[in-house]
Amino acid sequence: MSSDFGIRISGLRAAFATLFLFPLAAPSGAADATLLKGEVDGRQLAAAIAREKGHVVLVNFWATWCVPCREEFPDLVRLEKSYRGRGLRILGVSTDLAKDLPKVEKFLAAGHPDFPNYRKKSGGDDQDFIESVDPKWGGELPFTLLYGRDGKKARVLSGKQSYADFERAVAALMADPGA
Amino acid sequence: MKTMRTLMSLAFLAAAALPALAEGPAIGAAAPVFDLKTIDGKDFSLASAEKSNSYVVLMFIATECPYSNAYNDRMRDMAASYAKKGVQFVGVNSNSTETVEEAVAHAKKHGHTFSIVKDSGNKVADLYDARRTPEVFVVGKDGKLVYHGRIDENYEDAAKVTSPDLKNALDSLLAGQPVAKAETKAFGCTIKRA
Repeated sequence: MSSDFGIRISGLRAAFATLFLFPLAAPSGAADATLLKGEVDGRQLAAAIAREKGHVVLVNFWATWCVPCREEFPDLVRLEKSYRGRGLRILGVSTDLAKDLPKVEKFLAAGHPDFPNYRKKSGGDDQDFIESVDPKWGGELPFTLLYGRDGKKARVLSGKQSYADFERAVAALMADPGA
Repeated sequence: MKTMRTLMSLAFLAAAALPALAEGPAIGAAAPVFDLKTIDGKDFSLASAEKSNSYVVLMFIATECPYSNAYNDRMRDMAASYAKKGVQFVGVNSNSTETVEEAVAHAKKHGHTFSIVKDSGNKVADLYDARRTPEVFVVGKDGKLVYHGRIDENYEDAAKVTSPDLKNALDSLLAGQPVAKAETKAFGCTIKRA
């Protein structure tokens, strides 16, 4: 079990993850020894996404206070299970405040995501983070970005999506030889 | 001018029928006008409100969004404070998941005496490309958008706000000064469209 990361991966997948998937800088501060992989600012998140080049990458921004985020999260867990073998990588990013870390932990413990989840780094102005992720993002949650295998941003999904919405977007990118 | 803005509004409404979100007005562009009923049954016309006030603040709000609810007191206090300076605050509830009755109860509970309109079918949210709650748009007497974004940067604690962006914008405008930060962003709840 990969206790360093605290996420539910095992065996070869954990080894693979250790080598290739999650080589982010060491988690900082309050995120240590949690189900979270660490805290990220916009630059670190961009680096984590870039490391997945060659895969279709889905990045989902969520918060425990956000009801539609909680509602769509199980679909992402299911999506990852179905499409990981076909080259999908999912990264979750909680925008919860530091004081809500226990809620984040509880949520992740209940949701059993097989993909890494980070928390937006504390401090600073949220606007800077939002702008760095996508200049057209207004800050609404949930919010999802999709990147093609070429590492380029391909789709923006604002608001809650259904499993079919996610699957359609991912499948289209996987079928696109240019992406 | 009014005809042009009406046509623009109709064009935005047509665009809003598309699956993608419509493009909202830019700072300095004409803010789409609309007429809606308030949650207490009165008529509200943005065009009329513009004429009778120095500025109109449209606030997309919700009854169940924690981020919007964190600003309930700030909305109430700012609306009362700026009413004396010729600024009208108007709440816009565009959430398809929230009824007029719930909006009425919410306003009563939080002392919101400013006008609140129910945007059934999220037509006004689409006209402005409003995405989240809370999200504010400030419109001048000339009908142009002069500020768009957040109330401030600290939803958690009003006492620790360091960037009171809406207040700064209104104070600058009322003093005849340009708005330093006319576009701001913050996290918020997605508007639940029909």
